[in-house]
Amino acid sequence: MSDQRTPAARLTKWLVSAPPLIFLLLFFAAPGLIMVLASFRYPGEFGGLAPLVADPGTLHGLTLETYRFFFSDFIYTEIFLKSLLVALATTLICLVMAYPLALLIARSPKRRRDLMVLLVILPFASNFLIRIYAWMILLGPQAALSLMLNGLLGLFGVAPVHLLFSPFAVLVAMVYVHLPFMVLPLYTNLERHDPALLDAAQDLGASAWQRFWRVTFPLSLPGIFSGSVLVFIPVLGMFAIPDILGGTRDMLIGNLIKEQFLGTRDWPFGSTLSIMLTLAVLLCVWIAARLGGRRPHHA
Amino acid sequence: MPSNRGRRGTVLWTAALATYAFLYLPLLIVIVYSFNDSRLNAEWVGFTWHWYEVLLHDEEMLITAGNSLLIATVSSLVATLLGTMAGIAMHRYRIRPLTFIVMAPVAMPEILLGVSLLLFFIQVLNLTLGMLSIILAHITFSIGFVAIVVRTSLAGLDESLFEAARDCGASPWETFRHSTFPLILPGVIAGGLMAFTLSIDDFVITFFTAGVGVSTLPLRIYSMIKIAVTPEVNAVSTLLMLLTLTIIVLASRIAPNVLKGKA
Amino acid sequence: MKRLLLAMLLWHAGTALADDVLHLYNWNNYISEETVQRFEKQCACRVVQDYYSDNEEMLAKLAAGATGYDILVPTGNALEALIRQKALRPLDKARLPNLKNINPAYLDTAFDPGNRYSVPYAYTLTLLGYNVEKMRELKLPTDTWAVIFEPEYLKKLKGRVTVLDSQRELLAAALKYLGYPANDTDEAHWKQARDLIIRAKPYWAAFNASSYIKELTIGDIWLVHGYSNDIFQANLDAQNARRGFTIASSIPREGAVLALDSMVLHQSGPRPDLALRFIDFMLDGKNSAELTNLIGSGNPNLDAMRYIKPEIAQNPAIFPDPQRRSRLEMLRDLDRTQRRILSRIWTEIKLR
Repeated sequence: MSDQRTPAARLTKWLVSAPPLIFLLLFFAAPGLIMVLASFRYPGEFGGLAPLVADPGTLHGLTLETYRFFFSDFIYTEIFLKSLLVALATTLICLVMAYPLALLIARSPKRRRDLMVLLVILPFASNFLIRIYAWMILLGPQAALSLMLNGLLGLFGVAPVHLLFSPFAVLVAMVYVHLPFMVLPLYTNLERHDPALLDAAQDLGASAWQRFWRVTFPLSLPGIFSGSVLVFIPVLGMFAIPDILGGTRDMLIGNLIKEQFLGTRDWPFGSTLSIMLTLAVLLCVWIAARLGGRRPHHA
Repeated sequence: MPSNRGRRGTVLWTAALATYAFLYLPLLIVIVYSFNDSRLNAEWVGFTWHWYEVLLHDEEMLITAGNSLLIATVSSLVATLLGTMAGIAMHRYRIRPLTFIVMAPVAMPEILLGVSLLLFFIQVLNLTLGMLSIILAHITFSIGFVAIVVRTSLAGLDESLFEAARDCGASPWETFRHSTFPLILPGVIAGGLMAFTLSIDDFVITFFTAGVGVSTLPLRIYSMIKIAVTPEVNAVSTLLMLLTLTIIVLASRIAPNVLKGKA
Repeated sequence: MKRLLLAMLLWHAGTALADDVLHLYNWNNYISEETVQRFEKQCACRVVQDYYSDNEEMLAKLAAGATGYDILVPTGNALEALIRQKALRPLDKARLPNLKNINPAYLDTAFDPGNRYSVPYAYTLTLLGYNVEKMRELKLPTDTWAVIFEPEYLKKLKGRVTVLDSQRELLAAALKYLGYPANDTDEAHWKQARDLIIRAKPYWAAFNASSYIKELTIGDIWLVHGYSNDIFQANLDAQNARRGFTIASSIPREGAVLALDSMVLHQSGPRPDLALRFIDFMLDGKNSAELTNLIGSGNPNLDAMRYIKPEIAQNPAIFPDPQRRSRLEMLRDLDRTQRRILSRIWTEIKLR
């Protein structure tokens, strides 16, 4: 690539980079800026935004109103904290479930690995909503799972529980939908480990447990971080799962944002919430990057 | 020692099998219930093809499916073109702002892209939400995925090949056409298929950019789940699974490394 | 695949070319298929329908720029908002001879004085729906909101109750139970209602938009705060599936919300002529009754009464006596400040 400075090469560079860049500036960066601007405006009487310029006497122009409203009540901080907690719990459960599977795949004979990975991806062949809907059937009060569980609880004199429309249902579906995002980066990382390291540890007298905690686990940290980010971020913005499977106390930040745009008709406040969510995401990515900063290589 | 390793293997296998079961059981239930001869989706009554017949005669569902296919085709074609360019640019020129703007839509929670596009379409473009807005939104989030796949396949290529081509006096375009492009073609196709699947599958972003006139399959499934669940949902789900499955298998045939590279 | 796509494309082009099309943006399941077909035959046109399940959803989508609808069927408060937005076309009443069929009690509402823009279509009540056998077995009252708000009753029903996932409707029920008007906008009263709801919430299974129809039918849920049409539907389904119980509805003595849905012409609709023909067609007693017979909706059309099945016409939870009717209220639209405060109260309700 020594000829990058010739006019022809510069033209090529421009021709290749400009179209995607312009498209994304227009349909990704500009909307983002519009949203920032919208968060400083008044809501329109019937939805949408109040005009920037209008007759005196009607609401118009820019304001910090929505931000003041956000901080006027702890409830909005609370819903962020709750969403963070759900995202954290989902990430941890995914990690615990994904690790053995990823390890097994990584240690399987080469020819079997591809099939095993494909088997993890295949559920993705079904629509996201269908995967949620499946849990609606599975957790329903007439479904075998509920009947068995409640039969068991009944033996101990415990009142029957409802699995559907509960925080439990939300968490199960969150894990279900995001599990492959944890398995794949973990596997990609574990696959690259040099088995000689484990053999060396064994020769030095390390037990299986020690070998895992001292060798495999630290080496897999980059994989854990990438997987965690891939699970954590989408869960943070999720609204469909609480919407469909949630009960009487399962509102997350995603639901609140959706409600501002499609229910309450309060776009400025919806924009403010979206900006707060963006900040939360950036913060989390930054923390993850700091934590994973020591990683030897990108997974 | 071998017995120890064997036991550990068993533990690992059990955990892994449980996870596989966790992944597949729900989908199996959806498929099985699509053949259930009861409106209520509660207990098993008997086998029937009824829900598939209902589906085939559900004109609205067919229109919706048509919309989904049209949107996925157009948006994946454009996204493949733009994404391939972005992938090449990211690989060759390492322009940081470009890399950032290509990757950010992939990394953001979908709802953020959805609401910001909603605002943008209405406030700035004054566009009536519908087919066009959905297609634009889908292109926006697909570009990044295609670019990643294309970049991955470029990263695997041997640079000396192109040097050789250049040394033989080939112009950049000729080098691209005759050596780079054929080599990354599997990546491009796989990226395109991925964009197609993502589009067919997308719910969140479509939900915010669809307006009322145009519905897609996921939107329709959502309202069916929210309003009136009949096993017709299961039937359409089963068919949709078959479609996406075919595409995934196709993609993994064409570019076996791509699926792993994605995540 | 390619051929399939081509077929789809052609089909899209085909539908776009058809000449006489009436675009109807209506509630889910709010018109009988036969009625639509008869109208299509009569006007030699096609009716294209889109659906919503919540007024807020419809308003939000219109605010989001949805256009091309000839007819909308908003509820009173949404109608009011649409009129103030100047989003509707005035009606040419000379072309609506059947308007005489409407019961004057449902004309000239506060939302549209003189009915310049709207013609009543049907009404729904938000009331209690319940599993008759279960409620009798548990000796629970069914004529008061207390049964969904008071723990002394709810403890027998834990996990068997759903309420509507609608800010306005649930708040209205709570306000009514507390003895306030459904349209009360006093924030202190709202907070009282919020506390009432939060106290009752642990006993409820879910906030539910409409799948409670199915849950009532299966027998998972025994008591709902829901719409009269949905409860009617749940009972039909339960009888058809021979579930061995009855689902009934009742208007609580504290009063309830009446939602009068009206047909209006949207400004963006390209075919006001067809729209007026449709409205007059729906004002015909026979056509109007078809909807009531199908979904058990309340009917403001006097001429329709003779076509309505007697078991529906005599149901006091669908056609209430004058005394009950006097306790029904129609919801008014909220302004932006009130909407924002209500949304915060709703967030508190959902989070706590």
